[in-house]
Amino acid sequence: MSPASLDEALVAAAQGGSTEAFSRLVERHQQALRAFLRRACGDWAMADDLAQETFLAAWSRIGRLKAGASVRAWLCGIGYNKHLSALRSAGRERARGARYEEDRALPWGATPEDRLTLETAMADLPAEQRACVALCLAADFSHSEAAEALDMPLGTVKSHVSRGRARLLQALGVCDDAG
Amino acid sequence: MTQADDRLKDLFASDEPPARDPAFSMAVMESVMRRRFQEDVALLSAASLIGGGALWAVWPSLQPALVALSQGFAPALGALGLAACAAMILGGRARSALGLES
Repeated sequence: MSPASLDEALVAAAQGGSTEAFSRLVERHQQALRAFLRRACGDWAMADDLAQETFLAAWSRIGRLKAGASVRAWLCGIGYNKHLSALRSAGRERARGARYEEDRALPWGATPEDRLTLETAMADLPAEQRACVALCLAADFSHSEAAEALDMPLGTVKSHVSRGRARLLQALGVCDDAG
Repeated sequence: MTQADDRLKDLFASDEPPARDPAFSMAVMESVMRRRFQEDVALLSAASLIGGGALWAVWPSLQPALVALSQGFAPALGALGLAACAAMILGGRARSALGLES
């Protein structure tokens, strides 16, 4: 069974009231949602709280999810709205604390300084641009998937990704070999 | 995908949460079950309130009808109750006496 059809079967069961099916959906999508929220809001603890709230909201609204729709994009959309609400209610950009776990494994060639630079550069991006970058550059969403998830026009997403990418590469001192 | 994009992707991958996180999933499901319980309690409370209110409203007209019915059906209900008690006490013996048991 393909991941998409498995998702569809699990959604159908969850819509019928199966908490077991919903639990499997949580297991399957927690990584993508939490990664997106971590990148979108920068604060890991807040991101995990928002991810929990997102799943809770998803449970209440699962009946509205259309058959065949991308569960991952749907969850990221709910999470993004939760993130925006949290930003609005806080009335400020949340403090981007120094939550850098020293013992986290880094990919080959990446230094803690690079990661810090990336996180700082991400933090400096406007919230919408950050969300587009987090989905399209980090999570392999297509532009149209991101547009659907974030409820933004496709052109806006493309422009946010392009600008955000340029700013991140500039901050990292990486030569843009695409342009 | 360009080298620059690969570099960005590698850096982003460094803060990826684990693919399986039972503690997180359990916390989510606890919240879901708590929410479900609260909704069930709210639904039952609302149904009880509405039912109680409706009964209170119709009670004056319902009471005489119930009294009349209970008087009319009292002998039949008593006989049915006795038959049920006898069936419970006799148990299998009644079934075998009637030839219902193989």
